[in-house]
Amino acid sequence: MLRLKDVTMSLGSFRLTNVSLHVEQGAYLVLLGPSGAGKTVLLETIAGLHRVDSGNIFLDGKEITSLPPEKRRLGVVYQDYALFPHMTVYENIAFGLRLRKQPKELIRQSITKIAEFLEITPLLDRRPQRLSGGEKQRVALARALVLRPYVLLLDEPLSALDQYSRNRLRRELKRIHREIGVTIFHITHDLNEAFFLADKIALMKHGTILQEGKPAEIHEKPRNQTVAELIGIKNFLEAAPRSSGLHTKLGRFELSPLPCLPEGTSKVVLTIPAWSIELLPKRQNQIYAWRGKMKVTDLNIGDEQVEIELTHTSGQSVKTVLSRRELAKMFNPVAIGDAVQVGIWKQGLSIII
Amino acid sequence: MKNFRLIIGALGTILILLVAVPLVRMIVAADPALLRATISDKEVLTCVSLTMRAALWATLGCAIFGIPLAYALARWRFPGRSIVQGLIDLPVMIPHTAAGIALLMVYGKAFFLGKAFSMLGISFVGTEAGISLAMAFVSFPFLVNAARDGFISVDTRLEKVARTLGASPWQAFFKISLPLAWRPILSGGIMMWARGISEFGAVIILAYHPMTAPVLIWERFEAYGLKYARPVAVLLVLLCLAIFALLRGLAAKRRSD
Repeated sequence: MLRLKDVTMSLGSFRLTNVSLHVEQGAYLVLLGPSGAGKTVLLETIAGLHRVDSGNIFLDGKEITSLPPEKRRLGVVYQDYALFPHMTVYENIAFGLRLRKQPKELIRQSITKIAEFLEITPLLDRRPQRLSGGEKQRVALARALVLRPYVLLLDEPLSALDQYSRNRLRRELKRIHREIGVTIFHITHDLNEAFFLADKIALMKHGTILQEGKPAEIHEKPRNQTVAELIGIKNFLEAAPRSSGLHTKLGRFELSPLPCLPEGTSKVVLTIPAWSIELLPKRQNQIYAWRGKMKVTDLNIGDEQVEIELTHTSGQSVKTVLSRRELAKMFNPVAIGDAVQVGIWKQGLSIII
Repeated sequence: MKNFRLIIGALGTILILLVAVPLVRMIVAADPALLRATISDKEVLTCVSLTMRAALWATLGCAIFGIPLAYALARWRFPGRSIVQGLIDLPVMIPHTAAGIALLMVYGKAFFLGKAFSMLGISFVGTEAGISLAMAFVSFPFLVNAARDGFISVDTRLEKVARTLGASPWQAFFKISLPLAWRPILSGGIMMWARGISEFGAVIILAYHPMTAPVLIWERFEAYGLKYARPVAVLLVLLCLAIFALLRGLAAKRRSD
């Protein structure tokens, strides 16, 4: 559907380097990366707002690399929605249809339909200044969707919203995608948002794509430590692969079978997601790659989660997360300074060479 | 704290009085009979309407060339941009009689440009066209700078979204950028117009005749003295005040939007 091949461009001191991506028809791709990674520049390049230095962009099999934005049929929704302040909601949505010189009656029908779908019918006569963030967002979506774009490009669409509206619109985006079937290219720096929405995730940093794939694939096999960090993994252990398992500062990790490593690999990095670390392990032995005692060296209680830092006698520390419920259910709630039994699951571990 | 407010307030008041007292005195001291006579004085009316008309032509002419320039300055980074910006601010700084001399040297018959225009039947010396030209030269910064700030205040993403919705660059300009920057452009235009009306130095070098209102004031002051210059001055000041009130009204409406 949308395909980028070795796209390179520079804008001031910023550079996109050899960006290749493929978004299938009807897919929901989330481009995840920290701020300054070049996500918006990439989105605007796809939309035709910046010229590429080299590489090609294809849409529906046709090359669109040098097509002006108005001929690409891609819908864009910006973080702050960019609604035209001198027009009503109705006029905002009608803008593109009027440029296409559609008959008035047809425009009215299309707008009625999309307004009903997005539940913004009562807002049609209002000015954008009088809308809440969530309402503006729906109007911006309606304005783009009413033109039936090949791809909907969303630039951090949920970042400017409060927590409540964000959760609601996140589900809404999923519904739009499911019911309209439009291909979506969504950029964000929010990990939760990415995993909640994406069929496919692409990770970006410093103007290059580090890895793309299904969310589960990226979780299982992060290509390198940067990717692992971007998807929220905080624990990295240096490890030496031997026939008996992986040897780390914590001791031996039982991983059988060990994944195929290139001949002569003497050092790897073991990544451990927070959810693989269990306090007071009580399941069957074969679930765990490692068990032992550790000391609680830090404990931060948030509104739903509790972050805990555990330190081994070797000085190696790891971070884990418990829900408040799990902490409350413990017979003896843990506190800083306590020594606790810890189990690290086999599930969730991955090896970076 | 109390002293602080008092001193700040006093200093500001002195400056305001510096401007307000002469204006108020001039208006209050005007002899109503003489003022009435002035309003019905044909020469005065001809001069005032010529002044307003010439300033309007200057403003409209500059709008055609100045609004695109303002847009370019607001949106694009190009080599020589800061030089262009400096040139725009220059007319405010140089003496306006010097500006008049410079214009005379280019649009007078001694230079090829003046010759070329006179072959087309357009002369700038001693004509209404010349008055407009002199007004434009010294007052266009008001329009261009206001328009530039107006365009800067329009989020570029609005233009970008318009493009993705199917607008050509021209359509995005006329349907989004221009309507959104309209008010600052209009108030810049009114400012330029008012500044054009009050221009004396550059105008008198290029065209003593036909006489604009400021030139007429000067002439009556020179020929008949203060008493006869004053009513014309009062009339012109009142006119400018009315324009200024209009401008302030527009600006206030903009803030409340």
